[in-house]
This record gives sequence, C-alpha cells and structure tokens, in this order.
Amino acid sequence: MSGPAAGGHGAVAVAPHDPNIGTTGLDNRKLGMWIFLGSDCMFFGALIGTYLAYKGKSLSGPGPHDVFNIPLTSLSAAVLLASSLFMVLALHDIQRNDIKHGARWLLATALFGLWFVGNQVYEFAEFVIYYDLKLWTSLFGSSFFVLTGFHGAHVTGGVIWLLLLWRLAKRGLLDARDATKVEIAGLYWHFVDIVWIAIFTVIYLIP
Amino acid sequence: MADSHAPAPTSHRAGHAEPAATGHATVRTYWIVAAVLALITAIELAALYVPGLPNVVLVVGLLLLSAAKFVLVVGVFMHLKYDSPIFRTMFVGPLLIAIGIILALMALFSAFILLPRQVL
Repeated sequence: MSGPAAGGHGAVAVAPHDPNIGTTGLDNRKLGMWIFLGSDCMFFGALIGTYLAYKGKSLSGPGPHDVFNIPLTSLSAAVLLASSLFMVLALHDIQRNDIKHGARWLLATALFGLWFVGNQVYEFAEFVIYYDLKLWTSLFGSSFFVLTGFHGAHVTGGVIWLLLLWRLAKRGLLDARDATKVEIAGLYWHFVDIVWIAIFTVIYLIP
Repeated sequence: MADSHAPAPTSHRAGHAEPAATGHATVRTYWIVAAVLALITAIELAALYVPGLPNVVLVVGLLLLSAAKFVLVVGVFMHLKYDSPIFRTMFVGPLLIAIGIILALMALFSAFILLPRQVL
C-alpha cells in the first residue's frame, strides 16, 4: 500500500497514497457500502417481519393468494437474477479495461432492472384496478405495498445509478481505474437482488 | 471520472490488506452460478404445484432453497467469499440482527409460518 520502500543507497521512496484507503487498509467507499447494506438488511428485516406478523390478520379485502400472479413474479425473480449476472460481467470487463463490453453489460443490467420495475408497476396496477386492493384497504395491503414498494424504489434507484455509469462509460469518462465505483454500484445491485430472493420466497411462495 | 491518483487498474488497491482478493471467481464460475440460480428458482416454482406435498416440507424446502440462492449471490457475485473478512463481519452481523427482528416480530404477534396457531 503506501508504506515506505527502501531504495538502493539508503534512500526511502514513498509510494503515492490513495486517499480512499483508510486505516483498515480497505477502500473506505467499499467499506461504507457494506455498512450501508448491513443497515438496509435491518430495514428490510423490519418490513418483512411486519408483513409476516400481519399475515392472515386482515379483516377485509382480498388475501395474498387471491391476487398473486406467481408465474409473473417468478419471471421477475429470474429477470433480477439475470441482471445480477450481467452486473458481475460488467465489473469483470471494466476491471480489464474493456470499457466497450463493460458498458454493454451495464446497459443490459439497467434494462433488466427496468423490466423488473415494469412488472411491478403492472402487478400493482392489477391489484388496485381489478382487486380493489390499496395501501389502506387492509393489513395485507399496507404491509405488502410498503415492503414491495420500498424494494421497487431501491431497484429504481439502482437503475438510475447504472444508467449514469453507462453514460459515463459511453462518453469515455469511465475506465479501469474507476472499477471500484462500478463494484460499489454492483454491490448495491446484488443487494436488491438478494432482498428479492427473500421477498419472493417468504411473501409469494410460502403458503 | 477516473481517479488520477489511483495507480492500479483494479479495485483492489489495498495491497496486503485484502489478501483473499486474488482468488476472484472466473467468468465461467459466474455463468455456472447463474445457471444454478435459475435451476433453483424453477424448482421453487415447481414445488408449489406438487400435489400432496406436506406444508412443513414445502416451507422448509423453500427456505433452504432461497438461503442457497442468497449465499451464492452474496458469496460469488458480491465477492464476499473472496474479499476481506471485515466486509463479511459488516454484512453478516446486521443480517443476523435482521433475522432476529423477523423472528421477534413473528413471536410477538404469534405469527409462525410452520406451527399452527393455538386456538383459545
């Protein structure tokens, strides 16, 4: 890292210090993202716990298995998993300074994220229009819309982040030295994927 | 956008501080993991349509399969398997607290997935 290296005649050369490397020896930005993801785990833990606590306690309105479209949600889960693969391939290419292919994978990741959000908007619209299930209809409505709505907002934020990175790459403002920035965006993106893995199983699949 | 001060072309500029960073997965590993994730998702979906499957088996099976997907994404795609143990601690610690929150809320409201509610 930035420690002194002994020269040939007693001279001491000091390697340039990277201000992003903290006293832990780790990249502060990456460490910060992991800490944020840890806190977000607790946030979603509270929302999932609340949904499960209210499960089966609604006094009115349709229940989960009256409204869920499991094949559509399974497709959404597959789309988000595929986008995680694209994200890791984007990072791999950008680390190798293959910006052209890295940018393509970034765009593919963002588009699959948009596909997921589109499915969610369709699902929400279906619930509201055909089943009259709204945020204030029942305990199921409020806990379901708040949980999946916050997840959808996370995905939307990730899509915007990825599109900004893609735009920078297309304009030649992103190269291998920025791999950590792409890696941090990737950590965030994979996190929204693992939250969906939990939501998909606990909310949609478990009877 | 590029860091003019950053000498190394990779994200791992910390030298000795990230000893496991050299063992990153290959592109082939990423594709294999993606295929396994797709397979697990298909099994989860198919399990719902198996007639006569006991509820306990279905619920435990679904939870184990989703845990496997979770571990694969975090370990391989997020590189936690290969990265510094500090990152692992920063993530796994709060994750355990989150699981504790879920279990505590379920206990508080007597809302158990597996066990039937006691009728008073």
